[in-house]
Amino acid sequence: MLKPFFKTFGLLLPALIPSWRFFDEIAPSPRIEYVLLRQENEEGRDWKEVKPRPSHVPISRMLRRMIWNPDWNETLFLMSCAERLMAYPTDHSQHEILKRTRTWLTGQDMDPKATPFLQFRLVFRARLEEEIEEVIAYQSPVHPIAEQLS
Amino acid sequence: MISLELAIRATEMLLAFAFLLQSIEHIRAPKNEQVLFIPRIALSLLLLIGFQTAWVCLALFLIALLMLHRFQGPYNGGSDRMSLLVLSCLTLTHFMPTEQGREIIFGYLGLQLVLSYFISGWVKIVNPDWRSGLALQDVFRFSAYPVSDSLRGWADRPQILFAASWAVILFELIFPLSLITQPTLIFGLTIAAAFHFSNACFFGLNRFFWIWLSAYPSILWLQGRVFGHIGLFS
Repeated sequence: MLKPFFKTFGLLLPALIPSWRFFDEIAPSPRIEYVLLRQENEEGRDWKEVKPRPSHVPISRMLRRMIWNPDWNETLFLMSCAERLMAYPTDHSQHEILKRTRTWLTGQDMDPKATPFLQFRLVFRARLEEEIEEVIAYQSPVHPIAEQLS
Repeated sequence: MISLELAIRATEMLLAFAFLLQSIEHIRAPKNEQVLFIPRIALSLLLLIGFQTAWVCLALFLIALLMLHRFQGPYNGGSDRMSLLVLSCLTLTHFMPTEQGREIIFGYLGLQLVLSYFISGWVKIVNPDWRSGLALQDVFRFSAYPVSDSLRGWADRPQILFAASWAVILFELIFPLSLITQPTLIFGLTIAAAFHFSNACFFGLNRFFWIWLSAYPSILWLQGRVFGHIGLFS
């Protein structure tokens, strides 16, 4: 019964006694990629990035985002979930990525009848010597799009 | 010198505004988020107008704990942690039984604000990648932060990023010296706000801008309390 209390207190503590080590090193950076499947065991995956950034953001939109920036802040949360999923895997992080990817896809003219299955993977980018390397660090199970998640 | 009461009230208003901006973004979120953020909007409005601020802060703190539980940590990393720090200090300040206790808690917030810059500068200057400008190139080249692909082109301007890296490092390290007088502190905070503003534009970190701003009254008060008391500078 006390476990959730101690867990929440454990999450509060770094805020009360912060480390302030912002950007002390540039860690491998996650990207979330998804694929829509017609069948659960379909071969050949055409992976695409979830919520890809635009090629250009005009200054007027940057200024507007000072007070209204929900999409980007959700993207940052998804990055946190991706990092947490690698550091200490939980259903929560996986469900958040799945749910938010599904919601985003709903606004992208996805046809759930044609492609009723969804899978995602985490690709981490990092600099090794002079080159930028990509590593597929995690691949989720295939989920029915209509699946109810807690 | 800014009074403790005025600094607390200014913090309440800035925090309420920051919370409003954060919370309104969740207005169209799923129901299990709305049940947290709609009350948070209402409480932030009460805090903004100054209604029963002690109890409103306590209620906002309880919602913050529920948010931590809901998202299994902060929703937006450092900015949410700073939100919790400001809110926790403000709430404790209201419920401290003595004036000295109120000053210690509110002063702790001011001290943490100074450390937020100084330690960030320290961890950068001891890292060779930051000293060479390579770390900032990496931020633009492959990190998830640049808000557009066109911004990644900055990674190919190493001389500019070398200068920018050292500007950030030196500013963060010497920020504590700005506490010597109120005009230098105001100048330092103006530079700091411009730094957060540029991070908001380039990396979409708008929440950092507003929440760090909400902690500025605490350091303005602390500067006057420490150096005004000594009588050398004010």
